[in-house]
Formats: sequence, structure tokens, C-alpha cells
Amino acid sequence: MINLILVSHSGKLAEGLKDLLREMAAETPILLAAGLADGKIGTDVGRIEQAFGNISDDALILTDIGSATMNAELALELYAGDRDIRFVDVPLVEGGFLAAVLSGQGKSLDEIITALEAEFKK
Amino acid sequence: MKLTTNDLRTALLNAADKMEEHKDELTDLDREIGDGDHGINMSRGFQAVKKELEAKQDFADLGELSKLVGMTLIKTVGGASGPLYGTIFVKFANTWKGVGEAEGDALVSGFEEALEGIKTRGKADAGEKTMIDVWTPFINALKSEGDLSHAIDEGLAHSKTIMATKGRASYFGEATKGVQDPGALSSSLLLNELKEALHD
Repeated sequence: MINLILVSHSGKLAEGLKDLLREMAAETPILLAAGLADGKIGTDVGRIEQAFGNISDDALILTDIGSATMNAELALELYAGDRDIRFVDVPLVEGGFLAAVLSGQGKSLDEIITALEAEFKK
Repeated sequence: MKLTTNDLRTALLNAADKMEEHKDELTDLDREIGDGDHGINMSRGFQAVKKELEAKQDFADLGELSKLVGMTLIKTVGGASGPLYGTIFVKFANTWKGVGEAEGDALVSGFEEALEGIKTRGKADAGEKTMIDVWTPFINALKSEGDLSHAIDEGLAHSKTIMATKGRASYFGEATKGVQDPGALSSSLLLNELKEALHD
């Protein structure tokens, strides 16, 4: 089942979104790379790489703003593992809902990305 | 113009001191039109670079030095500046792999690759009130053998007058006109030190 990696500046935002997504897709594995140490706001390429190390299948990354996206793209460039991990630039909350549900339905990474782009990149 | 590995190392040590001197100014500017952490982030990143460079004095070439600096900045700066400044040095490292001294086209292409890297990473271009507005005139002057100091100052001054359309500052719209972009200022500090490292 495709894993979702949520990259946000705020740990609380990501935790809250994970709770929301759980209601819709209880089975979809969701990993967080959000906030900094001591609950500070920010994004950290190291946390994204940590999430990459903990995925159980191929994965999709969703981000909030600015440096979350830059750090996600950078982490992907540095990734040397053999999972297929991809980033799609769509709204974090709405995109997360669609991706979580589709992953729960057993859709492939390609199918999920195609659906997200059709929904949000009109 | 020529850049040697040892001169680049010295320039980076000096840049670390400059970031420290301007730490509060960078943070204050970022508080006005951003999230108020630029000075803190740049200080943390360049102090980490300084520590690495003090621990290792001899580098095989510009590539090895640049790679260490890039990876250190990526890991320690944070914010948007980490991936952006990190990308500059990763691009230097790729272009100058195995190169002990860069001059002429090889020198220029390192800077051009770095600028392309920032543009791609930040999805930004010149004229958006970012660090790109200082790097662009610097590289143009490098190519045309113009006055590098003048190019940095002009770029910095022009970027102050325009409105931010990229990054967090863009949310402040018109209010950004007349405020110095903190990323443009930190880039001018770094480029002024790199300029000192370039010799005929």
C-alpha cells in the first residue's frame, strides 16, 4: 500500500492532518516529517530522509509551503534507496485526503498521482 | 580570474564571520517580511561550516571542499536557505569535481550552474526580490570582467526597491518595497568574500 509522507513546518499541523486522514483511510501508512526539535516551526531535510528510511512500500510526498517543498525535492535528489518515492505539488490537506483514500483502495503510485493532478492541476 | 581551493576555504571562513556580524540585522529584516529566523539560520549554518573547515585544512580540490560545505549547510541551516545555499555548493562541487583551481570558463560555469540550481530549487527568477537578484549581476560582471563589488552593490540596492513575488515575503506584497530582502543581503555578504578570493 502506497505510503504517504506529510512534510509540514508544524508538527501539530501534520499530526492533526494525520488524525483527519485516519478517519477516511485507517489502513494507509502515514509518515510525518514535520516541525523541528523542541516543537519549533520549520522543515528539516534530515527528518524527511528519516521518513524515507521507515516506509513499507513506495511512497508519495505532500508538502505545505516553501522550504517544505524545497527540502522534499532535495531529499529526493539525495535518496539512494530502491523505493519509488515521488513528490506531487498539490494542496496538503485536500491532496492528502484523496491520496490517503486512493492508497487505501490499493491504487498504484501512478494512479494516485494521475488522480491528484487531474483534481488539483486544472 | 582564478579561484584556488585554499582561497575558497579562506573566503568561507571569512564569510562565517560576516554572517555572525550581521546575524541580528538579517533576523530583523526577516522579521519584517518573513518568518524572522534568517540571521539565526545563516549563523548556525556557517558556524558549522567554520567548524568543519577548521578541523580539515587540506582539501584535494574545489569539488571536495564545496561538497563538504554544501552538505553541511543542507544539514544545519534549516528554513528555505538550507536547501538554497546548500544547492549552490553542491553545484560548485559537481562542476569543479577534481579541479584544484578554476579559471576562465570553468570558473564562470561553476557560478552559472549554482545560479541555475537556485532558480530550479526556488522556482524563481531575477526580479522577484530574492538572492537571485544579487547572484545574477555578480555572474554577469564575472563573465564580462566587470567590477564585481559594484555589481553586488547594485544588485542589492535594486532588489530593495522592488516588490517580493516569491517566498514568504510575497505574502507581504507592496509592503516589501523599500525593505532589504534578507536572502539578498546574506548573498551579498557571501559574494563579497568570494570576490576577495578571486585573483588574476
